[in-house]
Amino acid sequence: MVNHEVISAFLDNETFDPQALSDALADPEGRALLIDLLTLRRLAQPDEMDSAQPSGRARAPRMRRLAAIAAALTLAVVGGYQLGERAGVPATDPPAPTRVVTSATTWQEVAQGGVR
Amino acid sequence: MSADAEALFADHYQPLVRYLCRAVGQTDDARDLAQDVFLRISRTVVPEASRAELRAWLFRIARNLVIDYHRSRQRTPPSIAATAEAERPPSQDVVAAVNEALAALGDVDRDVFLMREVAGLGYDEIAKACDLTPDAVRSRIHRTRLRLRADLAAPIATHRTSTMRQSGRRQ
Repeated sequence: MVNHEVISAFLDNETFDPQALSDALADPEGRALLIDLLTLRRLAQPDEMDSAQPSGRARAPRMRRLAAIAAALTLAVVGGYQLGERAGVPATDPPAPTRVVTSATTWQEVAQGGVR
Repeated sequence: MSADAEALFADHYQPLVRYLCRAVGQTDDARDLAQDVFLRISRTVVPEASRAELRAWLFRIARNLVIDYHRSRQRTPPSIAATAEAERPPSQDVVAAVNEALAALGDVDRDVFLMREVAGLGYDEIAKACDLTPDAVRSRIHRTRLRLRADLAAPIATHRTSTMRQSGRRQ
């Protein structure tokens, strides 16, 4: 009976006996095994897993939502500043007093910085 | 993270995630586990060793985390998995069949197979990662392949033609 283990070693790039491989591949079952193992290798790759896609799809809306929030905040800050600039008095002029309060007390300067 | 750990991360992240994806069957969980692996190595001193030995060391850590992962999942109710299976679209049948066939394997056989086929480790590296001899790895891989070939006969027959077509295109 032919030992087909050598086909696995050949596929894995490991050391193998060339004569044993020749014998194994002379057998139709050995050749069918080689083809099936190549197919199995392809099936085993995680690239074929569709489960990789949902996580990517789930991240995209989250990123879009964060970007929208950031844009709205920026718009609110810049818009608020510009509205204030248009409607308000320039920051360089002091505001005009609306009421002047006078005190009946007569303040006296004393030594050592005190107030009487 | 130390320079050694960063180099390990850069060199082996992709094959590690590929192995973990198949070992746990969930891409998000696989990525979390990969981060756990690199978190662990960042907290320890990376041993002075050859590239192959470091790779074996890394996959040994990953394998232990996979074992812990499966243990913790056994304690959770199976209703979530059952629901997911019931809602599965037909296009995912092959993926599900491969996952089920892999899940039906013994832990060591599955790890040996995935480290070779998905992560690309050599027999010596797998032997170090799984506490086996290279000869034992060689036998296990072949035995596991024969079992998967039988368990996945229908998907293999379906995909055989496309595989051969692609191989022919590469030549």
